[in-house]
Amino acid sequence: MSTADLLALLPLLVLSVGALLLMLQIAFIRNVQFSSALTLLIFALAALSCGPATDYAPRLVTPLLIADKLALLFTALFCLAGFVTTVLSMDYMQRRGDQPEEYYLLLILSSLGACVLAYAEHLGSLILGMELLSVALYALIAYPDKSILPLEAASKYLVLSGAASATLLFGFALLYAITGSLGFSDLGTQLATQPSGNIMLLVAMALILAGLGFKLSLVPFHMWTPDVYQGAPSPVTGFLASVAKAAIFLLFLRLFIDAKLYRYNMLLNCLALVAILSMLVGNVLALQQDNIKRMLSYSSIAHMGYLLIILVVCGSSNNRALAIEAASYYLIAYTATTLAAFGLLSLISAQQQQRENVLLDDVSGLFWQQPLLAGLMLIALLSLAGIPLTAGFVAKFYIFSAAISGYHWGLIAALILGSAIGIYYYLRVIFYMSKRNSPSYTLASTASGWHISSLSTALMIIILLLGTAPQPLMAYLRSIL
Amino acid sequence: MMESLFYLASFIALVATVLALSRANATHALIYLIVSLLAVAVIFFLLGAPFAAALEVLIYAGAIMVLFIFVIMMLNLGDSGVAKERQWLSPRYWIVPGLLAAILFGEMLVALQHHSAALSGKMISPKAVALELFGPYVLAVEIASMLLLAGLVGAYHLGRRFLARTEMEEELQEELKEQEQQRAQP
Repeated sequence: MSTADLLALLPLLVLSVGALLLMLQIAFIRNVQFSSALTLLIFALAALSCGPATDYAPRLVTPLLIADKLALLFTALFCLAGFVTTVLSMDYMQRRGDQPEEYYLLLILSSLGACVLAYAEHLGSLILGMELLSVALYALIAYPDKSILPLEAASKYLVLSGAASATLLFGFALLYAITGSLGFSDLGTQLATQPSGNIMLLVAMALILAGLGFKLSLVPFHMWTPDVYQGAPSPVTGFLASVAKAAIFLLFLRLFIDAKLYRYNMLLNCLALVAILSMLVGNVLALQQDNIKRMLSYSSIAHMGYLLIILVVCGSSNNRALAIEAASYYLIAYTATTLAAFGLLSLISAQQQQRENVLLDDVSGLFWQQPLLAGLMLIALLSLAGIPLTAGFVAKFYIFSAAISGYHWGLIAALILGSAIGIYYYLRVIFYMSKRNSPSYTLASTASGWHISSLSTALMIIILLLGTAPQPLMAYLRSIL
Repeated sequence: MMESLFYLASFIALVATVLALSRANATHALIYLIVSLLAVAVIFFLLGAPFAAALEVLIYAGAIMVLFIFVIMMLNLGDSGVAKERQWLSPRYWIVPGLLAAILFGEMLVALQHHSAALSGKMISPKAVALELFGPYVLAVEIASMLLLAGLVGAYHLGRRFLARTEMEEELQEELKEQEQQRAQP
């Protein structure tokens, strides 16, 4: 490997070296403050190192990884998300469990997995990155020592995610048997020579769709989501909902485009069906939740449904560029918004000793007690609902225009219906937050400190900026795609 | 000829797996699972990948299965366990797995006689595997090392809670004993 290759992989190297340094630090001196500070430094350095790495993009580094600007943009996003998760975890981990140092090590490793997924250009790096992401997540979900709910969530996620990986691997094995290649673009050229009615190909695609559908918690494969989201420690839930989902969707998009899977109408129809089901079922089930974590988990199912529209739109070559741009924008907006929403939840549950739940009653009257945090939650929820002036609105508008340009009326109808249902349950939380004189007024004590307030302000500004001045990011996305 | 060997090995793999799933006793299920893994190893060998076959036997049928058996043995402590084990040694428990394994062994002998019985006509030597792993796929090895680190750290942390608990229980019991002794003295 040449120097240019290594420089193009700089963020991955920084994260790996950082993980090793942190491991050595834990081995010699256990100190939570030092570990968390080191983690913040590593994430910041990794995000910054994406800048110099762009000089070498696009570059295929060994057949496994491709360092293009899209990969670097999302690597920076995942590192920043890791940074935010670390800040949110600091209070949380100090209260729960002994030996909280490994938590940060696992967080770095998990982010490394997500970044590998952003770089992946080969089925091998896909599987390795995905496993790195999920294996670190199993341990993170079960991290708090003393309660049973995280353990249950982790074992559920372990078994089901393992089954999904096996399904995915079987699909890849069939693809390899048909084409004899594992690289995404190789697959594209090899598949072009195959008749599209090949039964093995159909089975392979069904298996791959099922495996990725599980990881993205799309509707027929969504059963694990609420339990895992509820049981996991809130900062980890935020990480799982934002980074893990965004990384896997980005990878799905890359596989879909590079391997030219959009040529198969059958696959497009399946994706459209799954998208409609996810949007409707996710939103309808979210209506019935009193627990905010469960509500957000169902809403994340719906959001993945909105994103799937992009893949269907990619079917026609005229709209493909717009669709990829829309997907990238949506993923960035969704990551920022989800982190903000779960950020507040983790600050609330940091104060609770055992209970991992955040019920609607727990946030009632929050506006009058913690205006800054309530403002953050307000903006995050409005953005998830897609109200103008927030990032979520521009993102949804993007998807909407992409869908219209492809004349996918059924999908648009489901999108509108789902968003309309969504507004009800997002606004319900805001309604509770603004209640005065509620009996559970005192429950909503949250962690505070200068780092929390500066983080919430920064997240709020980012979401509002993405919603009011999206042109710079749009222009950048257009220039790199 | 070679194709029939392949189908025979696949058939044995399927039968052994179904039997492994349907056994009520965990140890019997494990024996069938080992036979199933051996059958897969024979398939690898027939396909011209002797290195993969050796790894399959060493790692899956060897190391991992021994760990499984250790765990199961530890769960069956006591005299009743010994009596049960003696009962398990009766022929009707080992004759079928033994027969299946013997067929696989026979297949191996036939395949060896026909000189590198590769169905694909191409042998992949360990050297070729190593050249691939440390050539184009070197980053995969690196990422896999990070994956193992994540697994190790996670397993350490999750397993530690049980270690910590037994230590605490021991301390608690010692304290209780001391208290009892103090009570008995006056």
